[in-house]
Amino acid sequence: MTAETNLSAARKSVPEAPSRVDPVTVEVIKRRLVSIADHMDLNITRTAFSLLVSEYKDYAVGIVDGEGRLLCQSTAGMPLFIADVLGSCVRDGLKVYGADGFAEGDVVISNDIGQHLNNVAMYTPVFEGRTIVAFVVVVMHWVDIGGRNLGSTSRFATDIWQEGLLINTVKLYSAGRLNEEVQRIIRTNSRLPEELMGDIDAQIGACYMGRDGVDGIVKKYGLEVFRESVVAMWDQAERAARKAIAAVPDGIYTAEAFMDDDGLNRGKPIPLKVKVVIKGDEMTVDLSELPKETKSAINAGESGGGWSVARLGFRYAILPEGHASEGTFRPLKLVLPQGNIMNCGPTAARSYYNLALPTLIDLVIKSLATAIPDRVAGGHYATFSSVRFRGNKPGTRQAFQCAESGFGGWGALSDGDGPGPFRTMCHGDTRLIPMEAQEAEFPIVFESMGLLPDSGGPGEFRGGLGMIKKYKVLAPCEFSVSVDRTACPPWGINGGGAATGGGATITKADGSSGAVLKEVTNMDKGDRVTIWTGGGGGYGPAEKRAIERIRQDVSRGHVSREAAERDYGVVLDEQLNVVRRQAPVKRDSA
Amino acid sequence: MPFIFSVDIGGTFTDLVACDLDSGALSFSKSPTTYDDLGRGVFDCIRRASVDARDAIFVKHGTTLVINALLQRSGAVTALVTTRGFADVLEIARGNRMRPFDLRFRRDEPLIPHELRFEVSERMLASGQVETPLAESELKDLAGRLREAKVEAVAISFLNAYANPEHEQRAAKILRELLPGTFVTSGTEVTREWHEFERTATAASNAYVGPQVSRYVEHFDASLRKVGFPGSLLFMGSHGGVVSSARTVREPISLVESGPVGGCIGAARYAASLGLENIIAFDMGGTTAKCILIENGEYAVESTYYIGGEETGFPIRGNVIDIVEVGAGGGSIAWVDEHGGMSVGPRSAGSTPGPVCYGRGGTEPTVTDANLVLGRLDAGYFLGGEMKLDAPAAQQAIAKKIAEPLQYRGESAVAKAASGILTIAGFTMADAIKRISISRGKDPRDFALVSYGGGGPLHSAELARELHIPFVIIPPEPGNFSATGMLLAEARLDSARTFVAELSEASMQQLTGVMAELQQGARAAMEADFGSESEANKAKVAFRNQAELRYVGQKHSLKVALPEQQSLEELSAIFHRAYRQRYGHSMPGAPVEFVAIHVAATLEMRRPRTDALMSQQSRVHEGRPRTRPVYFLDAERYVPTPVYNRYDLPVGFAADGPAVIEEYGATTLVGPRDKFSIGELKEIKIDCRN
Repeated sequence: MTAETNLSAARKSVPEAPSRVDPVTVEVIKRRLVSIADHMDLNITRTAFSLLVSEYKDYAVGIVDGEGRLLCQSTAGMPLFIADVLGSCVRDGLKVYGADGFAEGDVVISNDIGQHLNNVAMYTPVFEGRTIVAFVVVVMHWVDIGGRNLGSTSRFATDIWQEGLLINTVKLYSAGRLNEEVQRIIRTNSRLPEELMGDIDAQIGACYMGRDGVDGIVKKYGLEVFRESVVAMWDQAERAARKAIAAVPDGIYTAEAFMDDDGLNRGKPIPLKVKVVIKGDEMTVDLSELPKETKSAINAGESGGGWSVARLGFRYAILPEGHASEGTFRPLKLVLPQGNIMNCGPTAARSYYNLALPTLIDLVIKSLATAIPDRVAGGHYATFSSVRFRGNKPGTRQAFQCAESGFGGWGALSDGDGPGPFRTMCHGDTRLIPMEAQEAEFPIVFESMGLLPDSGGPGEFRGGLGMIKKYKVLAPCEFSVSVDRTACPPWGINGGGAATGGGATITKADGSSGAVLKEVTNMDKGDRVTIWTGGGGGYGPAEKRAIERIRQDVSRGHVSREAAERDYGVVLDEQLNVVRRQAPVKRDSA
Repeated sequence: MPFIFSVDIGGTFTDLVACDLDSGALSFSKSPTTYDDLGRGVFDCIRRASVDARDAIFVKHGTTLVINALLQRSGAVTALVTTRGFADVLEIARGNRMRPFDLRFRRDEPLIPHELRFEVSERMLASGQVETPLAESELKDLAGRLREAKVEAVAISFLNAYANPEHEQRAAKILRELLPGTFVTSGTEVTREWHEFERTATAASNAYVGPQVSRYVEHFDASLRKVGFPGSLLFMGSHGGVVSSARTVREPISLVESGPVGGCIGAARYAASLGLENIIAFDMGGTTAKCILIENGEYAVESTYYIGGEETGFPIRGNVIDIVEVGAGGGSIAWVDEHGGMSVGPRSAGSTPGPVCYGRGGTEPTVTDANLVLGRLDAGYFLGGEMKLDAPAAQQAIAKKIAEPLQYRGESAVAKAASGILTIAGFTMADAIKRISISRGKDPRDFALVSYGGGGPLHSAELARELHIPFVIIPPEPGNFSATGMLLAEARLDSARTFVAELSEASMQQLTGVMAELQQGARAAMEADFGSESEANKAKVAFRNQAELRYVGQKHSLKVALPEQQSLEELSAIFHRAYRQRYGHSMPGAPVEFVAIHVAATLEMRRPRTDALMSQQSRVHEGRPRTRPVYFLDAERYVPTPVYNRYDLPVGFAADGPAVIEEYGATTLVGPRDKFSIGELKEIKIDCRN
């Protein structure tokens, strides 16, 4: 089927007949909604207490309609939360309370959303008369919510109750009045109550602010125009999505990779296989061949796991532009049987629910390598590479938790080198926490932080570089680290070479040292950690890379002279003059 | 005949405004900007204004030199010196992606490439304690390598230098000695705030533009002297005040928004002389619209500014007037996408080819085209009639590019499409005003809108209605207001000190000492910078103090005014109130701490009388119709509208809307439900209350 016939299919499925609302009104209402979400986003950053929220920006903001259908999200929020979590928590609430069980000023919280329990969704209704027109939702990573260990996420959790306080749809505020008992349960179950309560205040403040904003729009345009505009907005988004899918040749596409292990069963790889079916203007992501849910903590629920893979993969590979709304995802289907790691049962542990997500999203892109060669990219480093130092601040009984995740290389493209270092495809506008802020707050010192030469996969276009950083610990504490994708490093694409994977070593004060990947261990004063991330995969054969680019890479320290010779067959002298160009030594390629 | 003048070098034109201090008379002149030698355009302006440089007391100069050098990457060959192990901080940046799903997203290249980034052994801890002493011997070797690399400027940025700048200071001193003639700057000389990437980027930017700005100041000063100019050359700082040449040479980065702030300052001071303390200044030009907010006569100064925009650019720390800028100007292009959605801007037709109606080859309909089609502009009286506009061409473009794809049919299709363009552009402008007001916890209903720039007066009454702003003020010569505004600006010097302490009687005591020290330092610096001026000795330095506060445990802070003689209770109440106003909630019982103290020292300078800002010459336009049909967005139809010549309207004149008021560089639109009058200072005052 050609793209053109697909286009006509697109027209068929969404009638072009213009709705009764003027397109200008639709546009203005759409942009007003996004502007409200962006304002909430900004205020959360400015009023939060923890570095995880104020600097890492581990939260997301969205507005859904009275039935939980997505109206918009903030412009630069975390892609990870684009999954249906915003809507599904609201639908859970509607089941629990019924549509007439909400009052103005209610603030409902829930962390039973298929991700780790730290991710707590909070929402408040917007009323017009007695009708709920919308819910304003903020999902935020709570710094500690009880469970086995500080920070709540645990490598060793084997069921959900070990991972903290489970809150399935509870009113923190009823009709604007604080439910102090609920608040007390949360406070007394957290090891970091001051930080957490401050962050929660920021979350509540944003919800109420968003509610007033949406209320203003509905008052100005009236309920009927508002609703018609939303329908028109969804249809517009759906048309755009169908058109983008229709431009991809029909076919069944697959891609595979594997994770190193789940952290409990060391060295036992986890095979991942993704199937993408493009048919006309619809796309199906089939995850039925993923492994069964496990006893370890790498499971995810359907909305937090499977739908994240489908929606994010679709957005990255096929429709990166524009604001997403319910309509954007109408032509997207998910095949995902229950009991699979991306659609786990209610009791499965989920601390590291995100372990495989970046790789799975990347596989959706990889599967389309030959179908849309100019839209895809080499694999990215795809692993959270998180480090946590936790303990008591020296000389006090006050707990601290220093959490940061890694930044690595992204894949090369058909027309340029890979970018980065960035966080994974699950992250967006989330920022590296300044070293100065970390050193001021936690008993650690950085010894270096820099780009990692030769980590990018070779190719006509080179993959982006990973990063390497070294820490020294100033006080006894517990250290945990999670690195993966070392045995299956980021792949090259369409002839490009693979990147190098990440890794970590611990060097004790006595000089002994060893490599670690997923580890929880005690550190003493003077112990050191080195952690590095993978690069991005290359694009196209390395032989075709322009000499000027290779020379610049070597001059900028991105590629060593040895690697220039090995990976590109280009021998350079001290002054970077080309001595000769020969066939490169082949690295594996996709 | 002593006089003062200001020069604004813009992208297309160089504007000059001169003020005769005896008579108060203003003269304006304009000349094409001369890119190869910016001074030539200025001297051309001086000649045209028929003033004698020998009689000038001072010149205030606004320039886009700094921002252009940074955006066009045309600065000096610059090296960066960092703590060992951290040369890549500048390149790694914060690692955030502002376009979440774009595999092609990348940030602008770092200002200083890897080859020119060097490391030296030293390390400061967060406590300010030295962990590794500065290896001074390494600096000697380094100087040799910098010479070899023909480096013109050096930025030094060490980790934790905000806590203790000793190593940076020492390294800067050594490199200055070893590399005479090279521009050397350290991060903490420009900003004492923490966050290594932002401070390093600031140091790098300051060094990058340093040599160019030094040469420019020197050259400009010398050419002024050649024509006998005896006064001082002053520069418009991004913080909204005027700074000396010497400081400009040391801290060129403080001129990053030097160009656009003139109008904002002018609006603030102009409004003050009308007795208006709370205004939103709105400036709409060809490509963008900008706004700032002034409350109690003061505007906010922000400490983070993005070079090249937040999405792909990089931040610098410095005091830049809090300004919101959006891509909605007269040249903003409107289009309909394939899914039936309509957008306007940020793409702009600029001045070439310009809007379709300019007849210079533009084919895409713009905001100006929509205004013309709807009778809001007069095709025969654009720039006082100097430029004829092609209304049928604009009509055709809107019909074909907007009305057709939207399936608008019938007689009113083009008007409907054109009004759609203005509605969406209006949304973008209203959104900018909301961001400067509502997003900062201010209610636009408490402010008057002061509107200028080529397009501001055309849209401001409708904007005011949309936002429930009660009054609009259009100052005289709105098209020239940026240069006029500079003439009204005072001298200013900002200083700050990190001061982390929980709010208590003890810390309030310490605060008095910190403030006294800051003020003393600022006074001395002001005297060094402006002491030679006669008016400076007569006038007094004034201070405005601000405290940066937060709840204990928070990471971001809020600035509040800090009047002298403040009690603990009062200050704490001020903070809780300000916090609540800004974020919608507060935590009255929670402990509060100081983060930093800011002092802005200002010095009044001689300036024109605000009642004499109207140009003297009256530009009479003959034979225009006295009424014409004008389309108003809220009426959703054409309304027969009287047309006035602003130069004919006497002080005290009052009438009901609708009205069109034309003058040389701008057209003011008064809506059917508005009233307007001409005030004491010849300002147009539009009342949008009913």
